[in-house]
Amino acid sequence: MDPKDQIVSLLKEADLYQKQGLLNEAKERYKKATDIIKNNAGIKNGQELIASIVKKVVELNQKINTINQATSKPAVSDKKQDLIKKLFASSGEKKDGRHDLEGAIALAKFGQFDRALEEFERLLDDETVRVAAAKNIVRCHLESESPEDAAQSFERWVGDDRFSTAQLDKIRFFIEGRFRKLGFERELYQHEETVSEEDIEDLEMVSDSNEAVDTPGTDHGVESQPVVLEDMELPEEDEFLDINSVGIQLQTGVQKGRMIELDVSFQTGNSINLIVSSKESTLLGELEKGTELTDMQFFSPIAILNGSGVVTAKTQIKSGPKEGDYSLDITILTT
Amino acid sequence: MATFNFKKREIECKIVYYGPGRCGKTTNLEYIFKTYKKQIAGEMVSIDTEGDRTLFFDFLPMGLGKIKGCDVKVQLYTVPGQVQYSSTRKLVLKEVDGLVFVADSLEVRREKNMLSLKDLHENLKSYGASIFKVPLVMQYNKRDLEEEGIPLMPIERMDQDLNRQLKAPCFSASAIKGQGVPQTITECLKLTLLNLQRQLKWAK
Ligand SMILES: Nc1nc2c(ncn2[C@@H]2O[C@H](COP(=O)(O)OP(=O)(O)OP(=O)(O)O)[C@@H](O)[C@H]2O)c(=O)[nH]1
Ligand SMILES: [Mg+2]
Repeated sequence: MDPKDQIVSLLKEADLYQKQGLLNEAKERYKKATDIIKNNAGIKNGQELIASIVKKVVELNQKINTINQATSKPAVSDKKQDLIKKLFASSGEKKDGRHDLEGAIALAKFGQFDRALEEFERLLDDETVRVAAAKNIVRCHLESESPEDAAQSFERWVGDDRFSTAQLDKIRFFIEGRFRKLGFERELYQHEETVSEEDIEDLEMVSDSNEAVDTPGTDHGVESQPVVLEDMELPEEDEFLDINSVGIQLQTGVQKGRMIELDVSFQTGNSINLIVSSKESTLLGELEKGTELTDMQFFSPIAILNGSGVVTAKTQIKSGPKEGDYSLDITILTT
Repeated sequence: MATFNFKKREIECKIVYYGPGRCGKTTNLEYIFKTYKKQIAGEMVSIDTEGDRTLFFDFLPMGLGKIKGCDVKVQLYTVPGQVQYSSTRKLVLKEVDGLVFVADSLEVRREKNMLSLKDLHENLKSYGASIFKVPLVMQYNKRDLEEEGIPLMPIERMDQDLNRQLKAPCFSASAIKGQGVPQTITECLKLTLLNLQRQLKWAK
């Protein structure tokens, strides 16, 4: 093609890409056009042409910078926040605490932290979602990179009689786990009553009568028990418990019934990924895409849960230090 | 996930327009909004940036009226195509019932189409869904630019790149002129409602 025609068509392309918001593509075309002009001394008005292109490229660079610097989740208008809440709270039409909680979680996911925090704070009044709301308050603070605020929120709740000791324990475990992950060192202040010898005697009395404790009003003692499984509200999606490792029982072979523990390499929501060594041939033989695992154990920092899962992918690793091993995706169905 | 209200005999489903940044997803919805006033059940809401890039999503509610004795409502969404909005894109995709993948016919966007399709595949997988199972229609957009002498990918090549395994119904389109837009959404609705019929048996 004649260089002149080439330049004309490159500039035309560049202008179009620029109009369509394809800024890098536009820039690249401008650059190509400039190169051609430089290499063809015979082109009329070459210098002026280059000058006008340079001007356009400068403008493009400015635009690209603005876009790159923009935050990806700026706060939007109240009306749009209302819409986000409505559209992304999926628990149907029932207007209960759970529904409101989902709406607030949606806001947080879209980065509308101030509004989400307001709603979570309000939801602390609702017994059914209190712990989840509290954890989400923590999460909002961590997402906005203010772990100290998370710690202080917790310390406020310690003196707040809406929270039982068991609830506070759960929240504290949760925060400590998150802090550990972040490498943020901060002790959480949790008020502990000083115990006198008399108290200890009292305590023994309580534990003596423990069997009769189920009557309302005497749930003393029950409160301070360690977290039990039935107690664990089942968070959805991101709210899923962090699973460190899982246990899978062999169904076949000489070692039938043996529990194999596997580390979780990463987790998104209820989907976990594991690496299984090629040496575990019996296990590998039992696990195929679609295999349902009805008797799994999930080890999280706070509890061991029994549940089921389904293998959603199984691929052999083709290179690197784990070559030959298998990468398994498992979706946790119930815990 | 679609909701089916037995009592009111009402079904509501979610269709998402997916594709690389600037491929014309919002333009598709704008055309539908302008053209099918009768089937539009409310305002189109766009949460976008100054440069008209979608930031969170576009949302357009539609009411198709009674189909087989059931009131059919559809929510159309677009995702933000730009790479940096990946977490939002995934959120919008959640519980999708039907998909339109808008591919950009510009030669310079060839790779971006493929990356976006892969991203869709991954995101669906993370929700336990499969790109092979969710009803999906392909649209090869911006075909009008051919006349202007802008280098475009031939349809056959796009099919090779994007649709070889999926074998989804595909349409050439010029969203800006509205060409191919009705065909795309009609086919997607058809596939989606058929699929939901299989699962929910909503029709009489
Ligand atoms: N010539 C032409 N231009 C189009 C067509 N469809 C969209 N455009 C243009 O392409 C640019 C991007 O269109 P949008 O609809 O905003 O693209 P999008 O896919 O929503 O982009 P993101 O929101 O950033 O993901 C705009 O300048 C549109 O006018 C088409 O069919 N032909
Ligand atoms: Mg858009």
